[in-house]
Formats: sequence, C-alpha cells, structure tokens
Amino acid sequence: MIFSILSLTPELSWMLIKVLVCIGFLMLLAPPLTWVERRGSAMIQDRIGPNRAALFGKIKILGLAHVLADGLKFFFKEDLIPKDANRSLFWIAPALAFIPALLGFAVIPVGRSFQVEGVTYHLSLIDPNNGMGLLYPLAIGGLAVYGVLVAAWSSNNKWSILGGMRASAQMVSYELGLGLSVLALFVAVGGYDPHEVILDQVEHGWFLWRQPIGFLVFFVCQFAETNRLPFDFAEGESEIVAGFHTEFGSMKFGLMGLTEYIHIIVASALIVTLYLGGWSIPFNGDGDRWPVLVTVASFLVKLLFMCWVFVWVRWTLPRFRYDQLMYLGWRIMFPLSLLNLVLNAWWITR
Amino acid sequence: MFLAFTLLTLGSALAMAFQKNVIVAGLFLVATFIGVSGLFILLSNPVSAALQIIVYAGAILVLLLFVIMMLNAHEEESPQDDLYLQRYIALGVGGLLLGGSLWFIKQSKLLQSVAERPIDQIAPTSLNEIGAEMLTRHIVSFEMIGLLLLVSMIGAITLVKKRL
Repeated sequence: MIFSILSLTPELSWMLIKVLVCIGFLMLLAPPLTWVERRGSAMIQDRIGPNRAALFGKIKILGLAHVLADGLKFFFKEDLIPKDANRSLFWIAPALAFIPALLGFAVIPVGRSFQVEGVTYHLSLIDPNNGMGLLYPLAIGGLAVYGVLVAAWSSNNKWSILGGMRASAQMVSYELGLGLSVLALFVAVGGYDPHEVILDQVEHGWFLWRQPIGFLVFFVCQFAETNRLPFDFAEGESEIVAGFHTEFGSMKFGLMGLTEYIHIIVASALIVTLYLGGWSIPFNGDGDRWPVLVTVASFLVKLLFMCWVFVWVRWTLPRFRYDQLMYLGWRIMFPLSLLNLVLNAWWITR
Repeated sequence: MFLAFTLLTLGSALAMAFQKNVIVAGLFLVATFIGVSGLFILLSNPVSAALQIIVYAGAILVLLLFVIMMLNAHEEESPQDDLYLQRYIALGVGGLLLGGSLWFIKQSKLLQSVAERPIDQIAPTSLNEIGAEMLTRHIVSFEMIGLLLLVSMIGAITLVKKRL
C-alpha cells in the first residue's frame, strides 16, 4: 500500500485523506455553483440562461460546459498587471483572498464520529476538544478582509479602492453581530466546540427554532461577510465597475471568483452546523442510530440547500444602498444580537 | 514548529520596522500577529491564539489600514530635522522596558512553576476556564478595563460629534 511506502502512520494518513477530500470537495463544488447561479438566475427571471457551449460541438448538457469553457479561458488569457500597481502585492492578493476562504471549512464536522477497532475517527479536519472550536472560523473570517483590502490597494485604481473600502468596512461592522450571535449559542450549549453544538442540537432540537433571533442575525451577517447581494457593495457596475477586482484578469480573476463561491459554501456549512443541526437527521432523537454515510448525506443535503438559498436571495431581493447597509448593521443587527445574547443568558439562569 | 513561528514573528516584525511603505508595513504586522498566535498554540493556549487573530489581525489592524488608505499616505515624508535627543531618550526607555520585562520574567514565581511542569501534563486552556477566571479572580481588573473602554468610547464620540 502507498501508506506503508510513505511510512505514514494511520493518524497521519487519515489526516491526509481528510485534507485532500475537504479541499477537493470545496474546489470541485465551487465551479458547479457558478453554473447553479447562472441557470438559477435564469430560472427565477424566466429566461433560458447559458445553454450554447457544447462539448465537442455536440453535447450541451444544460449549459454545464460553460463552466469548463470559463475555466479554460481563465487559464489561457493574457495576465495583465496595471503599470502603476504594486506588483508583489498584486500577485499575492488573490492568494490572500483564497486561502482564508478555504481554511474556514476545517472545523466543520461533516458526519458523526465513528469507531473502528477502538480508534475514534472524527469527520472534521480539526479534531474536537482542541480548545479553539468555533473561535477558529471567526478568526479566519476576520483574515478574509485582507484579501479584499490588499487587492483593492495594490491595483492603484480609484474604483478598486472605493470597492475595497466598502467591502472591508462592511465586513468589519457585520463581524460584531456575527460574533455576538455565536456567543449566544455558546451560552446555550455551555461549550464552544462544533461537535458539542451539534450533539446539543441532536438532543434538544435545532437552534433555528431555539434561537430564531440569533439565526436571523447570523444569516444576514453571513451575507454581508460573503459580500453577496443584497449587500454586494464591493462591486457595482454603474458606480465602481467591479470594485476591488476591477484590475484583475485571467486566472487571478478566476481565483477571486472561486473565492466568492467557496465563501458561500463555508458560510452555508457554518449555518448548517450552528443552526440546522449539522449532520443530524431531523425528527430523530438519537444520532448514533444511523450509518455514518447517511449523516454525511444529511449534512450535504442541508449544505446544498443553503448554497441554493444564497443564490435564491441574490436574484430575489433588490440591492440596498450603502448607508442603509451600515444603518442595518449598526442600528438593527448589532442591538438585536445583544438582545439575543441577554435573553439567552437570562433563559439559562432562570 | 517553534522555530518557524519565531522566525515568522521576528522576521516580519523587523520587516515592518524597516519598511518605508506604510501599507506593506501594516501587512507585515499582520504576519507578526499570525506568528504570535502560532506561538500561543504551541504554548497550548488556543483561546489566546484565536483571540489574537480575531482582535488584533481581524479588527484593529483592518481599521488601521483602512485609515491609512483613507488618508492615502503612499510614501512617508522625510523628517524635517533630526531630533537627536528624542532618539537617545527612545533608546534609553526602550532598553529600560526590555531590561525590566526580562527581570520580571526571571524572578516571577508563577512562570517558574509553569516551566517546571512536565509538558504532557498541560491541557489546552479552554474558553470556559478563562471566562470563569476573569469573572472570579480578576473581576476588578475586568470591570476596570470595561470602564476604561467605555470612557474612551465616550471620549471618541465627543471629539467627533460637534453637536451632541
């Protein structure tokens, strides 16, 4: 076996498999999501949507070939760097955006833990009880701002700077509501590990029902964090062109686009883990009854549904104005999340 | 691992100090924070590591860079006249601080007891323990910090708002 050749211990090879599967999953799910977005928008707006690209000029498969064609185009386009851009920062900006987006997925348990021959295997990249728990995605989410900021500043373009400013101000403002709504969860669970959160939900029901205000705040803040409509002020065709990635072309732009979809996947995964019971199966008290693969499937169904909700919302709601966004963040979401925290704290000390 | 994080921390701290471009210097500071949080993890204190990134890298530095970009200071102005006296005072105070903190570390009983503990007995600190510590043993300083932050917030608002 290949593991014995590389002299890997079982733990190390298990870790390696998990890393490969997780990153591969994210990278493979993101391009089809662009297809879902385009076909979904067409469906919602009563259009046909992209359907022309065909494999070998024949096989059209509902426009899925567009995803392939886009990828190929990104690779073969000329890689332009603006004359007055800060070259080194311009080069690392897409990576700075991309890596934090990928890393966020590491704490998400995608299925229940299982035991084989006395060894417990966990289906999350970072094992439970590591002491960092759900602080980790918050920390990584905080780092995601730098990709946007660096991309905006290094392009040396006024539209980019304006877009980057808007995006970063919005992400920092909404992080408050995000953190506080997660804090209310910690209070209710009495722990802060994603595994504990899910087991608590298996026992007492989903947090979607137990903390509806917290869910609302978290959900809205995730939209702001991913820079998605109705809060997509990092871009704006009529105002600031494509915002912070105006100057980025070819695969650099491809990476930026991929980052947005990976953000959507990770945000959906977080929502599912925290509020929709993670891998647990609804209307069924005991999580250990089901085979591991069924729990994984349950998680995936919820995840894909949340991804669809992101697309759905984008093509249903109109855009906000930037000052309305800030008003919503500071005057509505922030006090709501504080109220939610106090209510939950009162509830457990009752 | 320790070496990697130490090199990351010290290297980017030095790069930050010698960097002319303010934005790049700020980004090096972020790298320093990431290195420090890595060191926290090696000290089996993941909560501090996470808070280091959430608070410093995720919030404070973003605001700092935001302000720098807003003012758009691309290149630093050259100093008009060198203040030699200031330079020596800074050197002296810096040396004093370094010596003082080294002395403090050397004579601290708590740190010595930590150093003598075998490494496999140290469990990672959890958020629950830190919270309980803060609201029992360190309640006074905790409240003091809260008060200080409130006062500084009020100060900032009165400075910015002309008509309250």
